[in-house]
Amino acid sequence: MPPSQTNYAPSLDKLIKSLKSQPYEASIEALIFLLKRRQVKGDDCAVATAHILLQVVARSKWHDVDQLLGRVQSVGSRLARAAPHEPVIGNIVRRVLGLIRDEASEDRNNADDLGSDSASDIQSLAPTNPPPQRPAPTPVLMRSNTAAPVGLQVSKSMFNILSAATNADTPMTGASTPLSQAQPASVHALRTEVINGIEEIMDEIQQADDQIASFADIQIHPGEYVLAYQPTKTVERFLIKAATRRRFTVFIASIDPIEAGTGEKPYAALRKKLNSHGVTTINLASNGLMAYIPRVNKVIFGAKVIYQNGGLLVDSGACIAAQAAREFLKPVIVLGAIYKFCPEDPSDEAVIGELGNPSSFVSYADGPEVEALDIENTVADYIPPSLVEMYITNLGPQTRHHLASILADHYKVEDIGYSLHDGEV
Amino acid sequence: MLRRIPLPPFSLRTFYRLIHYHHIMATDEETKPSAATQGLPVHTKAQNEDFNIVATYRSLLSSDREITMPIAAIESLIEFLSITPYVTSMELVEKVKHQKALLLASAPNPLPILAGADLFEQFLLRSLRPPPAASSSSNLTEPMSFDQTREHLVANKQLFAQRAQAARDNIAIWGARYVSDEKVVLTAGGSRTVTKILLRAATDQSKHFKVIYILEPGNTRSQAAVDELRQAGLEVETIVPNKVAYVLANQKKINLVLVGTEAIMQNGGIISGMGTAQLAALVRAIPGGMKRFYVAAETHKIVRKTPIAYPIVAKMGVRQRDITRFENLGVDLDNEQVKEQLLRESDEVDYTDPELIDGIITEQGVKMTWQIWELVDDYI
Repeated sequence: MPPSQTNYAPSLDKLIKSLKSQPYEASIEALIFLLKRRQVKGDDCAVATAHILLQVVARSKWHDVDQLLGRVQSVGSRLARAAPHEPVIGNIVRRVLGLIRDEASEDRNNADDLGSDSASDIQSLAPTNPPPQRPAPTPVLMRSNTAAPVGLQVSKSMFNILSAATNADTPMTGASTPLSQAQPASVHALRTEVINGIEEIMDEIQQADDQIASFADIQIHPGEYVLAYQPTKTVERFLIKAATRRRFTVFIASIDPIEAGTGEKPYAALRKKLNSHGVTTINLASNGLMAYIPRVNKVIFGAKVIYQNGGLLVDSGACIAAQAAREFLKPVIVLGAIYKFCPEDPSDEAVIGELGNPSSFVSYADGPEVEALDIENTVADYIPPSLVEMYITNLGPQTRHHLASILADHYKVEDIGYSLHDGEV
Repeated sequence: MLRRIPLPPFSLRTFYRLIHYHHIMATDEETKPSAATQGLPVHTKAQNEDFNIVATYRSLLSSDREITMPIAAIESLIEFLSITPYVTSMELVEKVKHQKALLLASAPNPLPILAGADLFEQFLLRSLRPPPAASSSSNLTEPMSFDQTREHLVANKQLFAQRAQAARDNIAIWGARYVSDEKVVLTAGGSRTVTKILLRAATDQSKHFKVIYILEPGNTRSQAAVDELRQAGLEVETIVPNKVAYVLANQKKINLVLVGTEAIMQNGGIISGMGTAQLAALVRAIPGGMKRFYVAAETHKIVRKTPIAYPIVAKMGVRQRDITRFENLGVDLDNEQVKEQLLRESDEVDYTDPELIDGIITEQGVKMTWQIWELVDDYI
């Protein structure tokens, strides 16, 4: 494992350990701090967000579903704004919001003896008959400010223009329609349900890599040459799993062939493991990558996030590999767990790419260079959807055209509309 | 149309014949059932002889600038429902089909009408179907019976127009997010939806953007849209269509190209004002920067047809000057009879391939082009 990861790992672990002992507000602040310093990044963001939201649900005071949704939304947007470069946070928040909506509607249905399984449409959430009049819930900050996107009329049917459903009559004020006024007795039940649900999401995040790896031997065939560009943990596990069944050759491409400081070759641990299974590994410097592409059978990346349109964010340099693969008509396979699928289109900032610290390329000791050159070091790349052949998720391989149904299965339309970044408090 | 007609010296008469032929092709499917009804020994025409659906449709369109063509079609069909005396459900469906065919035949570009009328017809037909089993038990809306559906439609005529209006407001909310700070939006065609999006984006204090409007001289719709935007305080620059490539290549701040459309096809392609396809192709072809081509349209503009054969627009039933086959050489286009049959030049449409479209902003969220069939699937 590269040393950079061991540096921040303790602080996230420490945070998770201290969750129970300190007020949840302090944990949120601590996580925001970590996110801003980028001491928590990548997949850990998802885990951390789930942990924090769990605390919010378990320990904050709320009396009905609307309040809970508002609380989760406001905490979620604080986290998301702390790390705008990590859309995964938003995904987890949306998942939790969807979860709460599901549980709430189930609750209501049970109460009304409608008895139904997963009511996945917002129409089912709208009360059939007006709920008993009671003082309106105190408007939560986030909601009142971003009322418009929350209040979007949502229906999955083209018929909604003709339908008799009443919720479409006043689409713009939908935000103020109380979802369901949970009775005090059911608040406790709802809390337990939601906590269980969040724990399931956490399990899912944990198991995702293994599940993705289980598709490895279908995708990698004996005798193939596979190019892995800066393999992430997901890709490493995928390759190792494949190595247990198959004999193939892995090209590992990375920016610097010798890692600074240690003098060790990068991904030494991965190479050792692969070699022990009899898989040949070859290290490439990324600038020489093009020369090997004709030899390669497929290119594998781990995605940081996969957008609605099929585009994805990856570590910098991967786009070159993807484009090279395109030129030589080699398939590009992207590994990404379901929770990395973001129901948005990439923002302009994401597409342009994110700039990082260039000090590893030019040393401050080198005065003239520092003075004369503008050095930009992109740390994230956007790969347009046209370059990607296939996405392997923990639910199996998918093509671009089925991403929409995955998104529809995992997020509620009203939460997609809720924008985490626009929601300034 | 499939067989190759040997083309003798081109006369005005052949041209009329061709137009007539097109005309039949467009409405063939719909007229058949109504012909069957006329054969039946029922009192078909008697009651509503004086009702003219085409006139109703046109007066609806001209009375309200905000109303879209599909909605006008739906409203005029509802009008027809309300004056039709009570008959059996099947007979009513046949009558509606007949009116729909009349309406389709009246317009040189039947696609928007088809979108609305199809939606209406499917909604009516759905109530005739036996309710689906357990799966829909959780739905709030119990499947209505045919009579209920009919009453509901007639009683809520006003509501649908309002909903369509609300749909446009929703599109504005979704679409405004794609307008970014310090960037330039390129747009064309005078779409009311696009105008709404831009106006809504302008209300956001954190966004300062400019608009370049492609405006062909004499296009009143575009001019009206430009005036509206300017009145709202937006900085709008207008260019003539010849400058599009130049502007796209040189104005690097353009990151969004936004157009409206008349009809969305089932495959996600759009049939929209002439020049849209050209614009989309240029956006894709001109390198540099990250430009996205988005279409703003309500879901009721989706037409249940898949364009496959060329010339696409003509095969979809739109009657306009089809220069691809040189059929118009020697035809007097100022002739009144020809004019009536063909689309006016300012209303001509073209087809934009889904490959060129980055997304379709609907009131139900931003859809990728390949998601359109899912929406259609739902309503069949």
